Amino acid sequence: MFVPKTDNQSDLEGPHRNAGPWLCSICSQQNDTSCMSCEVCGVLRDLSLYFNNTNEPEGGAKRRNKHSGVSVLARSLFTPSSPKSKAIVFSDGFRGNKNATGHMQASLGTLHKTFMTHKQRHNIVPFKFDIPSPDDMVSIGLKSSRHLRKDIPGKMVMGDDDLVAEKDTSTDPSSSVKLDELGGNSSSVAANTRNETLILDNELQHLSLERKPKNSKAKIKKPVPVSQYKPEPWMLQGEDQEMPRQLNLAIVGHVDSGKSTLCGRLLHALGRISKKQMHKNEKEAKEKGKGSFAYAWAMDESADERARGITMNVGVAYFDTKNYQVVMLDSPGHKDFVPNMISGVTQADAAVLVVDASLGSFESGMGVNGVGQTKEHSQLIRSFGVENLIVAVNKMDSVEYSAERFNYVKSQLGIFLRSCGYKESAITWVPLSAMENENLVTAASDTRLSSWFHGTCLLEAIDSSAAPHRDVSKPLRLPICDVISSHVLGQVAVCGKVVCGAIRSDSKVLVMPSGELATVKIIERDSSRLSSARAGDNIAIGLQGIDPIHVMSGGVLCHPDYPVSVASSLELKILVLDITVPILPGLQFELHAHHAKVSASLVRIVSLLDQKTGKASARKPRMLTARQAAVVEVRLEREVCVEEFGTLKALGRAFLRSQGSTVAVGVVTRVVQVQGERAEQAS
Amino acid sequence: AQLLPEEEDDLWHAYNLIAVGDSLQAVTVRKVLRDSASGGRDAERVKLKLEIVVESVDYDKEGNVLRVRGKNITENDHVKIGQFHTLELELKRPFVLRKEYWDWLALDTIQQACDPTASADLAVILMQEGLAHLFLIGRSITATRSRVETSIPRKHGPAIAGYESALKKFFEHVLQALLKHIDFEVVQCVVIASPGFTKDQFRDYMHLEAARRDLRVIIENKSRIILAHAPSGYKHSLKEVLDTPGVMSLIKDTKAAQEVQALKEFFTMLTNDSARACYGPKHVEVAHERLAIQTLLMTDTLFRNTDIASRRKYVNLVESVKKYGGTVHIFSSMHVSGDQLAQLTGIAAILRFPLPDLEDIEM
Repeated sequence: MFVPKTDNQSDLEGPHRNAGPWLCSICSQQNDTSCMSCEVCGVLRDLSLYFNNTNEPEGGAKRRNKHSGVSVLARSLFTPSSPKSKAIVFSDGFRGNKNATGHMQASLGTLHKTFMTHKQRHNIVPFKFDIPSPDDMVSIGLKSSRHLRKDIPGKMVMGDDDLVAEKDTSTDPSSSVKLDELGGNSSSVAANTRNETLILDNELQHLSLERKPKNSKAKIKKPVPVSQYKPEPWMLQGEDQEMPRQLNLAIVGHVDSGKSTLCGRLLHALGRISKKQMHKNEKEAKEKGKGSFAYAWAMDESADERARGITMNVGVAYFDTKNYQVVMLDSPGHKDFVPNMISGVTQADAAVLVVDASLGSFESGMGVNGVGQTKEHSQLIRSFGVENLIVAVNKMDSVEYSAERFNYVKSQLGIFLRSCGYKESAITWVPLSAMENENLVTAASDTRLSSWFHGTCLLEAIDSSAAPHRDVSKPLRLPICDVISSHVLGQVAVCGKVVCGAIRSDSKVLVMPSGELATVKIIERDSSRLSSARAGDNIAIGLQGIDPIHVMSGGVLCHPDYPVSVASSLELKILVLDITVPILPGLQFELHAHHAKVSASLVRIVSLLDQKTGKASARKPRMLTARQAAVVEVRLEREVCVEEFGTLKALGRAFLRSQGSTVAVGVVTRVVQVQGERAEQAS
Repeated sequence: AQLLPEEEDDLWHAYNLIAVGDSLQAVTVRKVLRDSASGGRDAERVKLKLEIVVESVDYDKEGNVLRVRGKNITENDHVKIGQFHTLELELKRPFVLRKEYWDWLALDTIQQACDPTASADLAVILMQEGLAHLFLIGRSITATRSRVETSIPRKHGPAIAGYESALKKFFEHVLQALLKHIDFEVVQCVVIASPGFTKDQFRDYMHLEAARRDLRVIIENKSRIILAHAPSGYKHSLKEVLDTPGVMSLIKDTKAAQEVQALKEFFTMLTNDSARACYGPKHVEVAHERLAIQTLLMTDTLFRNTDIASRRKYVNLVESVKKYGGTVHIFSSMHVSGDQLAQLTGIAAILRFPLPDLEDIEM
């Protein structure tokens, strides 16, 4: 990660150093001698400084946290996903859950008892809160259904009596109370209070009837949806392999700040890379004269990436912490690959911003001469919806672990991050050295660092990041990140993160925008089979019964009855970033929304928004300049699956890029449907 | 004037030239019904020379045909005067165009079209991973010849082979498109542009395959294939490709290059001093009244206006701007830059001095 050069490249550079323009090792741009870093991509010119750092520190603590189900569950249950939740309702139930999954082999009796108490709780609920507000109903639904889920493994172990009870549920649809007791459908809690409108019936048909109005008018959300997917028997099946929650962690930063090496280091320290593999990488890297790249090669696997020493595509790796199963997304830092970074990293829940602390590198990342991916990435990440940011100040070894430098970086970057909308408290600063394995998985050992830094190490920081909110209650949405074909998954397989809802094998899904139906054959996560997956899971799905041409990355898998909206024209609320050329109507740009990329043009600027009040100005502005907020209308070259931001955040974000940089970020305020509605929109 | 379209560009010029009300004479084929001796009606195709008064003109980009609809004005055995007929103008088919009034623009267009030296055919392959466009850039039109789109997976541990093979397949498609659409006899050079290293990868692939499969065309024209940097693989990035120094020097005399330059100037002016640049017919008109226009940028779509009066208006505007020492660029709406200008109301101007009060005039 330290040196973006091959040996021959540095040879190349030698003569150039003296003779006028020098050749950028990455993009072969001819740069002026006076420039310290490449004008095009910001790569530093002379990094020979780091050649010294190619020593290979051994090992690293191989501490793999075997997570105990208890704490995970505790965490997942207590996450403040909806602040209005009634703690009373499930404090008891929680205890039950804890037992259920924590010690599956616990005696039948205890488990049964806890389960019973849990049931009772349910019965009480409707009486306790006579007329709960709709909000409360939702949260109750959410909570109770959640611990119901956790309960199921317990049930499975318990075996006979409970399974029988379960059968009861499905054979006896008339008695909603009974259903309720058995925890088959927690929404009955809410339903009871609502004039018994729901005759709780485990059948999907009924559910879809219930849902129709909800989908068409997203505002009137009934408290039912949570459980709509739950009571289906298939949800129960997947539960016996309850896993810790997934955290999609994006690693971002300027080119050559050491993202891949950091990832490689982490994986190695956590024992995710075999000794053999590591040895191979080290050997190969040395052969190519790039010893320092050995760790980065754990992430950069393609021949091209290795040859050039930079990441080009988002790399995916998995590791476990105490609380999470982390899906690490190692993004490319080079300017030209920002589109790859966007499409690969939109699924992130949390992010690590890697900053190069060494002299000159940090400054070029901040964009002294115009290009700085430190800035661009942190803005993008913020607009992906990531609120918590870990700033890893890397290469501290190159500045002798100087506290002064760290504080300088912190103050400089801090100002900028706050202007992006990160809260001071949501930023964790971690000084480290990936190369020397300082402060990664264990606290710093080098006295130069430990003498002044007493904060958490990177792994702890990751582990303690706030749990992401998962929306299982909505109908399935899975933006397709990748289309692959492999022996295991079959001809057509897609990768992506379930944004909301749940999916299981053998269920039908609708592939949008082509509108074709397919059957889910296999679900895989980190090469292990699952029978179902819920919101937040990053999975690979093997599809059956569909032609590969209908499945494109950027599409969305959704519930057959509730297709995602498809737009050819959008109204966006955008925030213009620091740009030099103003935005005019007619601007052509690339629009990125989740994994979709499409060429689009700005039709008109509807109104300018006041930054503070958010009110629209009366007059139609002639153009947009840096740091302005506005409502604009864009026309897309092709149809794209998006949702309005208010309906579903993950599918309602858009990024506008033009001439190789991100000009604006925004949210979808209105989806103009394919045709017909154009007239309406005009009026 | 009698004209003979020789290349695609000429048809485009003809499209700009022919306006409603002009009369056009060309050889055409018409299906004629006649009563046969036995009382039945036979349909027969007759080759005729007809002259019509133009009512509408339609340009078919893909087929390279210009369809002109109008009323017949020549006495003929088969077609009555006043009957409607559609003439199809194709390459290598001469036609005669009569106008009541040849305005400055029309003459200029003909002059341009008849000037063989200005012709510069350039092929651009604009690509990014998974998406490629093949463009042919002529004097005044940019034709999208081919679009290749494949899904390329991210790298995924062991599935890395899938990535490589998908990329190979993608390159193969692009190469096939290149072989199919690019005729090195016509095209001066081929520019391969992409962000990142896709262009290098493709070039390597191309040369490797050329050597392996003995593709003479590529081996012989190796020197005419150059690389350039592009911000993305979408069509609008073509502008930036044409703007890179290497490509610019190749096409610097062509209209496409001048257009790109002019539009760039406009945006630079807008960035540096926004009061010295304006767009939209209303603003431009006001600016013109104050004799403030230094450079006028317009698309040819404005002249193609069916309304004769407004065409006349724009022609007058252009003439008077020229009279007062301004320069005028007429953008071809078939180029990317012209396309962008067309979306920007089609008319824009760089001013001699700032007019900040333009902001206050409602568009």
